[in-house]
Amino acid sequence: MGKPLIHRSPIPGLGISAGITLTLLSLVVLLPIGALLAKGAAAGPERLWGEVNSARIWASLWLSFRLSFLAAAFNLVFGVALAWVLARYRFPGRRLIDAAVDLPFALPTAVAGIALTALYAPNGVFGAVARELGFKIAYTPLGILIALVFVGLPFVVRTVQPVIDEIEREVEEASATLGASRAHTIRHVILPMLAPAALTGFALALARAVGEYGSVIFIAGNLPMKTEIAPLLIVIKLEEFNYDGATAIGIAMLVISFLMLFVINAIQVWSRRRIGYV
Amino acid sequence: MSDTAPATFRVATEESPLFQVILTVIVLALLVLLLFAPLVAVFYEALGKGWVTAVTSLADPEALSAIRLTLTVAAIAVPLNTIFGIAAAWLITKYDFRGKALLITLIDLPFSVSPVVVGLCIVLTFGANSWIGALLVQAGHPVVFALPGIVLASMIVTFPFVARELIPVMVEQGRAEEEAALTLGASGWRTFRTVTLPNIRWALLYGVLLCNARAMGEFGAVSVVSGKIRGQTATMPITIEMLYNEYLSVAAFALAAVLACLAFVTLALKTFLEIRHADALAAARRH
Amino acid sequence: MHIDIDEISKLFGTTAALSPVSLAIPSGALVALLGPSGSGKTTLLRILGGLEFPTSGRVLFDGQDATGLSVQDRRVGFVFQSYALFRHMTVFDNIAYGLNARPRATRPQKAEIARRVTKLLELIQLPDIGARYPSQLSGGQRQRVALARALAIEPRMLLLDEPFGALDAKVRKELRQGLRDLHDTTGLTTIFVTHDQEEAMELADLVVVMSMGRIEQIGKPQDIRAKPASAFVREFISA
Repeated sequence: MGKPLIHRSPIPGLGISAGITLTLLSLVVLLPIGALLAKGAAAGPERLWGEVNSARIWASLWLSFRLSFLAAAFNLVFGVALAWVLARYRFPGRRLIDAAVDLPFALPTAVAGIALTALYAPNGVFGAVARELGFKIAYTPLGILIALVFVGLPFVVRTVQPVIDEIEREVEEASATLGASRAHTIRHVILPMLAPAALTGFALALARAVGEYGSVIFIAGNLPMKTEIAPLLIVIKLEEFNYDGATAIGIAMLVISFLMLFVINAIQVWSRRRIGYV
Repeated sequence: MSDTAPATFRVATEESPLFQVILTVIVLALLVLLLFAPLVAVFYEALGKGWVTAVTSLADPEALSAIRLTLTVAAIAVPLNTIFGIAAAWLITKYDFRGKALLITLIDLPFSVSPVVVGLCIVLTFGANSWIGALLVQAGHPVVFALPGIVLASMIVTFPFVARELIPVMVEQGRAEEEAALTLGASGWRTFRTVTLPNIRWALLYGVLLCNARAMGEFGAVSVVSGKIRGQTATMPITIEMLYNEYLSVAAFALAAVLACLAFVTLALKTFLEIRHADALAAARRH
Repeated sequence: MHIDIDEISKLFGTTAALSPVSLAIPSGALVALLGPSGSGKTTLLRILGGLEFPTSGRVLFDGQDATGLSVQDRRVGFVFQSYALFRHMTVFDNIAYGLNARPRATRPQKAEIARRVTKLLELIQLPDIGARYPSQLSGGQRQRVALARALAIEPRMLLLDEPFGALDAKVRKELRQGLRDLHDTTGLTTIFVTHDQEEAMELADLVVVMSMGRIEQIGKPQDIRAKPASAFVREFISA
């Protein structure tokens, strides 16, 4: 406890910056989240468990988590490949593609939702192809998966790309002079160096997908037990004025978010300790 | 490398040309399917029945009021979050104090919370059945199903954007320049305006752009708190949903196309900033 | 292994990094490529290592044309200026890397790899650091690990790019002797690049002074000192 709460600094503005930061943080973030937790505490664990413990809710949580994991896993592989292509290869239109990767960040989720539905519904361009082949995309878990891949796409690319830029050429050359084939270098030198950043991106994409609502509800079809995602159930509970029910699912999802934040931090701490960089 | 090198020679840090072509083609094909096709779909559906129909649907009073509401929300939420972002970045990068890591985690928190949970939190805090909410309703200032709730929802989901862009840049800049200005007798405010701000302006603009795009497009959190009252609390994304569910496809996609254009402008400005001011933003990207 | 450099030139775009240079290096020699930055010494070293390709000319290893040989097939031990250690691997795994990278048919057994790594760690006089990561080593230790890693593949020659460049003056002196000893025990043809004339003169059997992509003089240190071939050499070695 030898460290003072705050070190003296000659730079002015401590009072005003701390004041604005803490006031807005409290009002905008802490108060609302605190209210959710307080509501949960008031209802008590048994009541909350009773609300969560229904087949329909378990099905939706399982669906949300399973599809989010699959989407993030797809984005992990695809994102690393895309980041590599963008960072290392030169082809016409590369800058445009690079800029377009951020589209899911900038495009409103509702817009993405109706656009994907228009494409993948049975009467849409891709949906029609699927119907010819005898399966459906929109209004099935596959449709939800596509929406979740869309919203999570930039995360891995954007975490991995700067790390690729920082790999020293000499390290790759060293591997080659030691007799390693290019494939061996990629597998044993490059991918391990990208792994911490890629995992961070994976966790971010996963966290985003679990909570995603706008882009999913249009394409999901929202059939109870089949294509109903967890965030939608919160909306349904609220429409039924079942605040305890909504709180219970909300807290469950908050816990999942916190766990993921914790995992992201742990990955970063681990990688910094072990290899001295993130 | 040099074009005079014999065909057999391959730089040790490159994959074979065949591999490069195959990987590029696969990756780009997936991007076309996942990213570009939906974008084309928005404009195709919007303009499917001609320009006139699309533009007429935008002139509908409902659409106009949605556009007005969305602009109002952004006009309140974005400046507030910008002020917060600057204050938080200043606090975090100019002073050393205990609990800094916790503060950063709390600021980042909204990124990892589902927008629907954000909406739920607002309903539980300010809804008519909470004591704060009851007081506010009595005083004639309801939050939920009204403008303040929508603004608050938009603020929460975009809360970290500006601070996140500024912090890495300001860490990189260090404190020396500010300290120098102070020893030369500049006031704190003058130091900020003449020394700090010029150094961070591109990162700041970048953060504000992202914040704005997300605030105008927010759907999940807003849909929980808006109440979806036509002409009053329906923002553009909410109106898109209502029109779409009523099978007014052209109107829904026309409005969607307007938001897609906003996304284009955001990305174009962002790319422009990255090319022109790569150095000032480099720190932010490394983050 | 003796090395012949036969009329090698290298263009980067339109600028000549190397005007045609020729050089014969006898087997087992310890050679310094000495010159200021931009003299083409590193380019020449990288061409020998197969990391760069000459625009014209040939490289011969023991009389055999090696110009078109890929880096992987050259079996040269290359020590980079930054050492280029693999940060995510322990020292042990770094040194074992080249052996593990071999195709299954020629890859030694695990126990054999361990034996060789242990021997190399003893050779560089750091027997106890196998489990550490590069970030936990001092600059001098990193340089010696990079040497051991290069030696593990049983190279046909040793190429070092500014091997002492990243070290402070005291460690530099110690490691110079270390390289000399290593060369004398292994008997490998060793070529190192340096801009430090004192280092070149003290360490090498043969010094090649370079400037602006050309070889100014080749000779034993004492000969170069006694009879500088040009004004440039005289000025450079007296600096």
